[in-house]
Amino acid sequence: MAAGSLVLDGPDRPGTPPAAPARGGELVASYRSEPVSFNRHLASRAADDLFSRLTQGRLVRRHRITNEIEPRLAESWALADDGLTYTLALRRNVRFSDGEPFTSADVLFSFRAVYDDATNSQLAGELKIGGAPLDVSAPDDHTVVIRFPSPFGPGLRILDGLPILPRHKLEAALDEGRLREMWGTSTPPSELAGLGPFVLAEYTPGQRLVFARNQNFWARDAAGVQLPYLDRLVVETVPEQNVEMLRLESGQLDLTTDEARPEDVAAFRRAAEAGRLQLVDVGIAIDPNLMWINLRPDLKASDSKRAWLQSEDFRRAISHAVDRDVFVNTVYLGAAEPIFGPVTPSYGIWYTPDLPVYAFDRTRAGSLLNGLGLADATGDGVLEDRSAAPVRFSLITQKGNNVRERSAAVIQDQLRQVGIVVDVVGLDQGAVFQRFSTGDYDAIFFGVDITDPDPALMAEFWLSSGAFHFWNPGQATPATEWEARIDDLMRRHVTSLDLDERRDLFAEAQRILAEHVPVLYFAAPHVYVAVSPRVANATPAVTKPQVLWNAEVLAVKGGG
Amino acid sequence: MIAYAVRRLVFALTLVFLVSSAGLMLVGLAPGDVTDELFATGVSAETIARERARLGLDRPLVEQYAAWLGRVSRLDLGTSLRYQRPVRDLLAERIGFTATLGAAALLLATAIGLPLGVLAGSRRGWLPRIVRATSITVLSVPPLISALLFALLAARTGWFPVSGFTPAPAGAGWLAAASNLAWHLTLPTLALALPFAATIERLQADATVSALGEPHILAARGRGMSDARLVWRHSLKPALRPVAAIYGIVIGTLFSGSFAVEFVSGWPGLGRLMYDALTSRDIYLAAGCAAAGSLFLAVGTIVSDVALASLDPRLRRQSS
Repeated sequence: MAAGSLVLDGPDRPGTPPAAPARGGELVASYRSEPVSFNRHLASRAADDLFSRLTQGRLVRRHRITNEIEPRLAESWALADDGLTYTLALRRNVRFSDGEPFTSADVLFSFRAVYDDATNSQLAGELKIGGAPLDVSAPDDHTVVIRFPSPFGPGLRILDGLPILPRHKLEAALDEGRLREMWGTSTPPSELAGLGPFVLAEYTPGQRLVFARNQNFWARDAAGVQLPYLDRLVVETVPEQNVEMLRLESGQLDLTTDEARPEDVAAFRRAAEAGRLQLVDVGIAIDPNLMWINLRPDLKASDSKRAWLQSEDFRRAISHAVDRDVFVNTVYLGAAEPIFGPVTPSYGIWYTPDLPVYAFDRTRAGSLLNGLGLADATGDGVLEDRSAAPVRFSLITQKGNNVRERSAAVIQDQLRQVGIVVDVVGLDQGAVFQRFSTGDYDAIFFGVDITDPDPALMAEFWLSSGAFHFWNPGQATPATEWEARIDDLMRRHVTSLDLDERRDLFAEAQRILAEHVPVLYFAAPHVYVAVSPRVANATPAVTKPQVLWNAEVLAVKGGG
Repeated sequence: MIAYAVRRLVFALTLVFLVSSAGLMLVGLAPGDVTDELFATGVSAETIARERARLGLDRPLVEQYAAWLGRVSRLDLGTSLRYQRPVRDLLAERIGFTATLGAAALLLATAIGLPLGVLAGSRRGWLPRIVRATSITVLSVPPLISALLFALLAARTGWFPVSGFTPAPAGAGWLAAASNLAWHLTLPTLALALPFAATIERLQADATVSALGEPHILAARGRGMSDARLVWRHSLKPALRPVAAIYGIVIGTLFSGSFAVEFVSGWPGLGRLMYDALTSRDIYLAAGCAAAGSLFLAVGTIVSDVALASLDPRLRRQSS
């Protein structure tokens, strides 16, 4: 994954580590929501994950720029010849923020917490392989052995999500089945302990979280200076995004934890030119919005409508009918790239550039639609099917999400020009999920956050049995021959330990998906990150949290 | 008087109960539930199913409501499904901020609206016209928009914080704490108060015109009484009745209207909590926030009744 291009040049631009980082000072960040719990097992939203990453340590971490896993609490590891067993050497002389030593017992405890039935941890799913847990043992205080139930291509990168919790603080609660009750947001900061770069110093509900340097944090920079560089990191709760942008522009914030919206980029560019902000074009997003048509066999529609709505050529016609340049310019104000599939160039080695595409061609779209028996018999500009019913379907999208609403409007307009009527229905997020889960819809335009581009970690999208196989989720057996082929390729991709083989298998799966277009992609936005001129050492990534993923190296220019 | 107080208390409790029940049922009937957010974050379907069962979301809404009623009868508002904390504790953390903002806005709205209303109702010429036009303009701008405009002003000038509240440092003294509070309160208070000030001004202006047309006032004018004495001594009290009559509703809507202003201005009151409750389908938190809002309305109505009774002896006799 490329680090992306920089809008600004100069020695102090974000992404360029300063020659001599100064220790001390405070930065003020913002978040539009706040954690619902300090216990990561009970809370999975972005704010909860950020809290966990600032205050708790991981065995390994996915480097958000190189995309490689890097040592954290595990300083090295080795994979045995069986392809299943990893032996991890833990870092020595590491202490929790409260001074207690970190040992392999804390790692065992953290896995116990994940797999504990009474806790029903929200991390359990991502730390199981094919529904089976990892087998974890500890031959001594500084060694952990992790055995996977089956070969798993991504290997240890799934540990990026696992916070290592203090056994001495939480074991009694876990033993008594009360881990769920621990570390709610009313817990006094003094009762929390962690291995992350910061400790919670103060939490004021609805206002802010104040993090102070963890004096026992293990990491040091190349010059031997203990990290983090910052004395304090304040995360203000700013619910309204327009206000958040105003505060950033006026210098009342140093950084936000979300990327800039397309409509803010021009103003940020001007502010950057005036020296009031640093603006970085980090790269193309890895989680573009998508449109899919309901291909479930229980679609509630007339036979004639189902015949064309669920046909492959209809989806190809839609792809041909939408001018992606118009989409890019209207929805993202030019700050995006046209795409035809889910894997954008930011996926690095997983990106396959030469896939078949159904590019903008209204004539071809018309031919495909005519081939389905859809024609404008009445001359009113709207196609009719064989039962003389107009070619019309509803497209559900998320109300209040400007980009999605604009996208749906562009699709509606573009399809109108080939005679297809689209009724855009804006619903709030919960209602969209409900319609999706019950299958009560024609088509949906939506998106989900992706945090790791390794395709094996998105198997739920690719496998026909997956919950995120949007167009027809949770199939007992693949509904189509091509889905069966993708299933086979992805199963081999997930279990292969050979990176080249995994890449080839995934390229073939992408090729099949591109040919049958069960999902339609139109554009992927550039991820822009804006920070104040005070911020030094920022290396923004395309995934959330773009700037704070390595908060331990952030610094204030010129020191505190 | 005791009977009157008991009647008002019963009314207040009934209002709070009905509004919170309606809040719970309406949010419960809306599509989706609190675990939908987990789906978007990639939590496994198995974990979500177990979470739904643990939270009781797999039971019919009527059963959930009955269980909540049982807890409410023990003065327990339930546990927030999203925050996994008692609703009572969550409300307690924020209700003071909403009350402070609402009270400040009420005072400011009254301080601006009443005198301007008397002025506009008792004078002729360009001044009343300007006041009326300004009021109508302000009334047509929703507090949400005015809050955004004030945020823009704050960002451009730096005179006030754009959003949020930062308490004065510990040990700063009461004067520093009060001025810090006032500095943070100014813009959200203005955003919230201005439409209500305009409402009060319009009502008071009409009532003043009406009062000045009463026969005894005309007679007094005929006897040569000065305009100032007529307006401020003889017509003000009767002209206050319409404003006092709607004061309860003003208080209620002011506090519920503050939710939008709080959201934009980052004021740490109930607004954000209510927004979270609604968007995440947290039925118990939504019921709690609705109860808090209706409590403000109930208190406002009582204040309004007392004010009316103090202005109108006939009402005092009725209530006793």
